[in-house]
Amino acid sequence: MDSKIKTRLMKRIESIVGPENVTVHETDTVLNAHDAWPLSEAKIRAGESLPLADLVVFPASTGEVAEVLKVANEMEIPVTPVGGGAGTCGGTLPIYGGIQLDLKRMDKILNIDHESMLITVQSGIVGIDLEEAVNRHGYTMGHTPTSLRASNVGGFIATRSGGSLSSLYGKIEDLTLGLETVLADGSVIRTKAVPRHSVGPDLKQLFIGSEGTLGVITEATLRMFPIPDERRFRSMAFPDVHSGLTAIREIFRHVTPSLVRLYDPEDTAMFVANHFDVDEGDCMLMLGFDGTPAENDLSESKSVEVCLSKGGKDFGEGPSKRWWEHRYDMYYPNRLTTSGYAIGDTIDIVATYDKLENVYYAMKKAMEEHDAIVMSHFSHMYQNGGSIYMIFFTNQPDAETAWATYRRIWDDGVAACLREGGTMSHQHGVGLSRTTYTEGDMGSAFDVLRRIKKVLDPKGIMNPGKLGLGVRD
Amino acid sequence: MIDPEKIPSQVRMCSACPKMCRHVCPTFFAWRSDSPTPHGRALLIHQEIKGTRQLDERGIEVLYQCLECAHCLTWCLPEIDIAEIVEHRRTELVKEGRHPAGLTSLVANVVEHHNPFGEAHNARSDWIEVSPKKGKRIAYFTGCTSAYREKEIVESTVKLLDSLGFDIVIPDEWCCGSPLLRTGFIDEALEQARHNVEVLNSLDVEEIVTTCPGCYRVLKQDYASHGLKLNSQVSHLSEFLETKIKDLKTARIEGKVTYHDPCHLGRHMDVYDAPRNVIQKVTGRKVVEMERHADNAMCCGNGAGMRLLFPEKAKAIGNERIRQAMDVGADMVVTACPFCRNMLASQSGDEIRVLDLPELVSLTLEDE
Repeated sequence: MDSKIKTRLMKRIESIVGPENVTVHETDTVLNAHDAWPLSEAKIRAGESLPLADLVVFPASTGEVAEVLKVANEMEIPVTPVGGGAGTCGGTLPIYGGIQLDLKRMDKILNIDHESMLITVQSGIVGIDLEEAVNRHGYTMGHTPTSLRASNVGGFIATRSGGSLSSLYGKIEDLTLGLETVLADGSVIRTKAVPRHSVGPDLKQLFIGSEGTLGVITEATLRMFPIPDERRFRSMAFPDVHSGLTAIREIFRHVTPSLVRLYDPEDTAMFVANHFDVDEGDCMLMLGFDGTPAENDLSESKSVEVCLSKGGKDFGEGPSKRWWEHRYDMYYPNRLTTSGYAIGDTIDIVATYDKLENVYYAMKKAMEEHDAIVMSHFSHMYQNGGSIYMIFFTNQPDAETAWATYRRIWDDGVAACLREGGTMSHQHGVGLSRTTYTEGDMGSAFDVLRRIKKVLDPKGIMNPGKLGLGVRD
Repeated sequence: MIDPEKIPSQVRMCSACPKMCRHVCPTFFAWRSDSPTPHGRALLIHQEIKGTRQLDERGIEVLYQCLECAHCLTWCLPEIDIAEIVEHRRTELVKEGRHPAGLTSLVANVVEHHNPFGEAHNARSDWIEVSPKKGKRIAYFTGCTSAYREKEIVESTVKLLDSLGFDIVIPDEWCCGSPLLRTGFIDEALEQARHNVEVLNSLDVEEIVTTCPGCYRVLKQDYASHGLKLNSQVSHLSEFLETKIKDLKTARIEGKVTYHDPCHLGRHMDVYDAPRNVIQKVTGRKVVEMERHADNAMCCGNGAGMRLLFPEKAKAIGNERIRQAMDVGADMVVTACPFCRNMLASQSGDEIRVLDLPELVSLTLEDE
């Protein structure tokens, strides 16, 4: 950015948020550029630099966000909104510089409506702080992504995130009832918090998953649930993916578990077999049930009946409970995943049951062709289908080869997914890592998104380059 | 002390972590920025080691925006001790002459007056009255903060130990060196340390007792790691009282009592049960725990130079800790550290009472 423009911009932003809440210092732009995209992390380890903003701005209110956007829009400065900085797709990297609009100071709980079981919060509240706060009142948010300690509500909503118990509680698009968003021109729009409505299209859904490309999410009204009397676990080993998936499909015709995870033979060998005596090649199904003991008796016994009829071997609560208790462990770096130019990632695809198995085998074959270890689990399962975590890992002799291999695995993995009728992300979002695949995934509907973008952000300042929108020369 | 050869691999891993500990970092709480966070500090040092970016003035400031509370370590599966790593880098920065100017007066005061406040050394203990007793002879190492700023701690400790029949010796102590060690001034700290070791070893005492966890850690751990040996056992008052728990009485104390774990006593020295057991004996009931307690306790904000360099942020952290105590309905916060007592009392207002452990135990004497 031209230094004169930067000075002028800085002065105007300082007058909005105060000098202590905006920084142009390179050290701060470096330290605040850190997201959780595996490619960013690998590059950091390799000593490479990430794209930097010119200014990092920390607003405290919706009004300040609106004023900052008015200035940015007038001066045509790119704005990259950042929540917890826990995104795994590079969605918060300020690839065209400009303003990094960091919402971490907007972390207040504004209202708890006990009658309606709703909570209204500023979007910068961190997930675990929110969960602990509602726990004190006997509620749970029902939203438990692995990033819970780092990600925040704005990020949840901007990426359509999902928690490990989404089979029962739903994803953030199901949990969000009302939304406040600031558009590129600084106008503030609010959608009413109602359980259902029939007044035209549900416009809040336009911003849920918009990844900062259409506006900045500043407040949300979210559903809460009573903390369940009991969370119970059960585990079953299946001889193959097919029989495990058949059992899952059948279970959802009768009951709704909170947790459903089917590990393929490689993932079972990696994360289950070192703690439990699982036969080689078996696939572990982990189930969880939230409810009263009587409700869980019913859900569990029906699930067990289905599993046993499909060839399942009963492993009791062990593997599922262990996973739950150690669910954050895999998110930490370790010597294997950070050695040399190691890089891994997850393509969290989603498909209906009729396509799911085909997508799995096609992606696995395509990804394994690039010197990658691929292990997968089917999780976030629903009545009509579910997600697969296609996890890959590769380690190459140098950075250039590693980053190129990483890209080829993504390219071919996503191509296989789309070819077999899947959708390329269930909960991680698009960001930068999948931006070039967006049009291919959405097909003809992408043009609608492009037109909406043009109307809401005609100058293209909002998070350019993400979600397949606003790539600049 | 950390093995310097391990630092490159540890900061490499920490700097690219998806922030699994940031939610408990008190300086993240205070600044709400990714700069003063464990991974921010690791990234600065990692980039310096890799040659990506050199540490500039702002980077140095960020390294001094660390309380060294080690709360991040509780949440770190790979067990990377950023507090130790930061302290190691601070030591190098001091040698390079690149430490923050705000620390200069602290260091000069300790060197000249043997306390960080610049108070006269002869006023350190001339006000403390002890009377000879026939019981076990112990040295009471008060530490600077209790000697000059939190005198009630010294008064109640002396009264208490006296009532238990101990023959108390107040040594001609200098600053233990903790504020200097934690901010990187090793040579100046060791000058203080050598005096203390000489004085303490010259005393005919069976045990050295201190009420300050900062002093406790330094006397028990840092001196030894720098090759300085104390001849007598060092105990924190909470441990010392726990061994005499049968002799302690129960006082009439109304309301809910919670305990704030000092970082230097808990996470740094693994002393969690002793103060709780003493409180339970004195109050006649179990401590009402805050949500974040023991190795997950939030720092009070008053450590490693933070209050000196960034007073408003330090107070914000202390204020949050008081809020956490109020969240569990506590009427009283007991701690076992003059720094914590000082900070928490400054933020408690009229709504909650803050006492150090010897002050609480001394209440049993008032009932008599």
